[in-house]
Amino acid sequence: MLRGLLDRLGAPFEKGGPLHRLWPLWDAQDTFLYTPGKTTAGPSHGRDRLDMKRLMFTVVIALAGTVAMAFYNTGLQANLAIGRGATPLPGWRTAVIEALGIGFSPDSVLAAVIHGGLWYLPVLIVTFAVGGAWEMLFAIIRRHEVSEGFLVTGMLFPLILPPTVPLWQVALGISFGVVVGKEIFGGSGFNILNPALTARAFLFFAYPSDLTGDRIWIAADTAPDAVSGATWLARFSLTGNEAFAETFHPAGGPGITAWDAFIGFLPGSMGETSVLACLFGAVVLAATGIGSLRIMLAVAAGTLLMGGLLNLVGSDTNPFFAVPFWWHYLMGGWAFGTVFMATEPVTAPSTDGGRVVYGFLIGVLVVLIRVVNPAYPEGMMLSILLMNVFAPLIDHFALRSNVRRRAAAAALVPEGGG
Amino acid sequence: MASETRRVLMDPLIHNNPIALQVLGICSALAVTTGMQTSVVMSAAVVAVIALSNLSVSLLRNMIPTNIRIIVQLTIIASLVIVTDQILKAYVYEISKQLSVFVGLIITNCIIMGRAEAFAMQNPPLKSLIDGIGNGMGYAAILLVVGAAREVFGAGTFWGIPVLPLASEGGWFTPNGLMSLSPGAFFVIGFLIWILRTFRPEQNEAE
Amino acid sequence: MTTARYILAFAGAVCLVCAVMVSGSAVALRDLQAANAERERQRNVLFAAGLADPDEELSEADMAERFAAVRAVVVDLETGEELPEVDPTSVDPLVEAGITDSSRAVPENFARIRRVERRSVVYLVEAEGRLDAVVLPVRGQGLWSVLYGYLALDADLDTVRGLTFYEHKETPGLGGEVDNPNWKALWPGRRVFGAAGEPIIEVARAAAGPVAEDPHRVDGLAGATMTSRGVTNLLRFWLAENGFGAFLERLRGEAAG
Repeated sequence: MLRGLLDRLGAPFEKGGPLHRLWPLWDAQDTFLYTPGKTTAGPSHGRDRLDMKRLMFTVVIALAGTVAMAFYNTGLQANLAIGRGATPLPGWRTAVIEALGIGFSPDSVLAAVIHGGLWYLPVLIVTFAVGGAWEMLFAIIRRHEVSEGFLVTGMLFPLILPPTVPLWQVALGISFGVVVGKEIFGGSGFNILNPALTARAFLFFAYPSDLTGDRIWIAADTAPDAVSGATWLARFSLTGNEAFAETFHPAGGPGITAWDAFIGFLPGSMGETSVLACLFGAVVLAATGIGSLRIMLAVAAGTLLMGGLLNLVGSDTNPFFAVPFWWHYLMGGWAFGTVFMATEPVTAPSTDGGRVVYGFLIGVLVVLIRVVNPAYPEGMMLSILLMNVFAPLIDHFALRSNVRRRAAAAALVPEGGG
Repeated sequence: MASETRRVLMDPLIHNNPIALQVLGICSALAVTTGMQTSVVMSAAVVAVIALSNLSVSLLRNMIPTNIRIIVQLTIIASLVIVTDQILKAYVYEISKQLSVFVGLIITNCIIMGRAEAFAMQNPPLKSLIDGIGNGMGYAAILLVVGAAREVFGAGTFWGIPVLPLASEGGWFTPNGLMSLSPGAFFVIGFLIWILRTFRPEQNEAE
Repeated sequence: MTTARYILAFAGAVCLVCAVMVSGSAVALRDLQAANAERERQRNVLFAAGLADPDEELSEADMAERFAAVRAVVVDLETGEELPEVDPTSVDPLVEAGITDSSRAVPENFARIRRVERRSVVYLVEAEGRLDAVVLPVRGQGLWSVLYGYLALDADLDTVRGLTFYEHKETPGLGGEVDNPNWKALWPGRRVFGAAGEPIIEVARAAAGPVAEDPHRVDGLAGATMTSRGVTNLLRFWLAENGFGAFLERLRGEAAG
């Protein structure tokens, strides 16, 4: 019945119909509901049941844990800070919570999820509305179908933003990410840089006071109580191991354990704080073969090597050198970036050898940026973007070395010997 | 001849712009375009240097021994740049401080050497002078657009006068910090080239 | 036509013309340029000492009038003694700091200054024949760049009169807020030295109290930890023994004696 309705509604969009130019819009929703009617016409084709949309759907499942954190943890951090004397930020969100009579109790899961949702959902909606509009526009101008690639970009981008990011910046950021990060290069599949990270990098450099610092990671006004909202990366770079004794958790109480960090009920970007949630995603992506386990392991190895090296070298002026290397896995966006960003197939190398080199260098760079560069407490975004740029080159060398190896092997075989 | 002069003067503005089409002289275009004032002064300096260098090279073109012609051109350009720098330091001190080394680096601006070698060596003085002014204006056109965009979006001001009320002073506009960094100029120039080549597809490089 | 002799003669002629042009312009414009640089320096000193406001347009006469109370003095940083025989306008401490003979290496420090000039130029503000304020040139590493500025101290050589930076490349909106007049207004009245005479002035990591309660700390720059720390470090460096420590010590001795 639905099929019949769709076919009738879709008629004007067919070739020759009055709304032909808008065909991509129609096609996008039609193929979302039904499997594409087209099949390959040629005599042979691989039967891969994994069509683009299912692939994206798997990624969304892999992100489930981090999305849950974006709802719950965002609200939890705000409510914990409010419980300790911070004030709710003025605005419609607070008005909604008061109108509903839910309150800001940190003990109530419902209160936290609703408070978190009031920060996370608007960012998500703006991302999809604005980013989607650009996708449609380019699809219509270039007369191709709307690519599903944006679904993943649109899911990833809100998760790597701080909860308090202004919504107009979200709109501007995703516009930059989609247009400059992707469409300029020809659209999904041709982009050099990860669009979600491009969007975030744009905001990071354009509006540093809203994307960095101590005040943005908790969605509450922490000034009156001097509840410090600094992320631990920022604190480690200030005081090194002494930071372990500080109060990390808005709930109060000094100290932080690796377990706290692993579970991730801490201030930070909305979806990145929980290593556990990212680990779940890693299992899903690796099991379905969508995300390259090789890259993830290579990033971990690079971080281990560089972090360990800095631990051994030590420094008198930079206390961050002494922070044990495994904390790099637990801090900031390492886990999220490694699982969901570094593995993005379009912007990562496609050769096995290339992937190892690529991941390893990301791991090395992230530690260098975090520890040695005083300007950026976090280095995940910048190191992945930088290696994105080098991915084609890495592939080139990986292919060439492969060719050379095989040529050398072939040379060992006597002429005519096969 | 009138149309010829016109072509020599106007071509570099859009049709054959040294920055947008030939992508020359980008270094200074990135560094000095944080505001209108620096862009205007830099543009004026480049127009003056390129016009005078084209003129002098053209006057000497039949006398310059071929085997030392590049070094002669360079000597002339370098001298003109130093004199320009001295004049700026004496009369627009504030802005010349902001321009810092980039006035001196006009010496290395490929547009100037390029025009001297490619045009002034083959053409009579008046025509070379006009060509120099034309190319200088082409460079200036891009600099002014980029400078205006960066100052308005990066600081909310135009020629130092506030045009967009800043959020930090009770207005609504939050300056875009990327615009005051050099990569901001890259993006603005990139967008300009995109727009230009959308409307003039013949400027696209062959695939 | 292109004999070796012709080439040499042509090259020589071009060089000669160009050389005349360059040196002519340099000589003709030198006085104007020097006057510009001097006016720039005087303006910054006046800003730091609170004798002028960055927003006001100062005419030539205004400048001269206000700067009449200011005496530039060349100081030997190691001994703290004045060098009255040296003309202050002939000394550029920043240039001398970069030359091995006129500078000395200093121990590793948080201001990340490697070499310090042997002599510097300070500005003494006098009122009614008595010392009213001292303006010291300071510099040190912020986040992206070296910050250059002037620190003005009252005659007690402890209370801040003003602090101004005239050159830096910190992030606009974050570290760049060192230029914000509201932040600069927090400085006057703060005290730089602790009980034992060591510089303890600090740009706090968060908000500091009012002058009376919290005299040794100033509000941090929001979101700019590294620039804030840079300002702390550079002030402490220049107020201690490798900076103007000896000079301030001598002035204190003179005031007591």
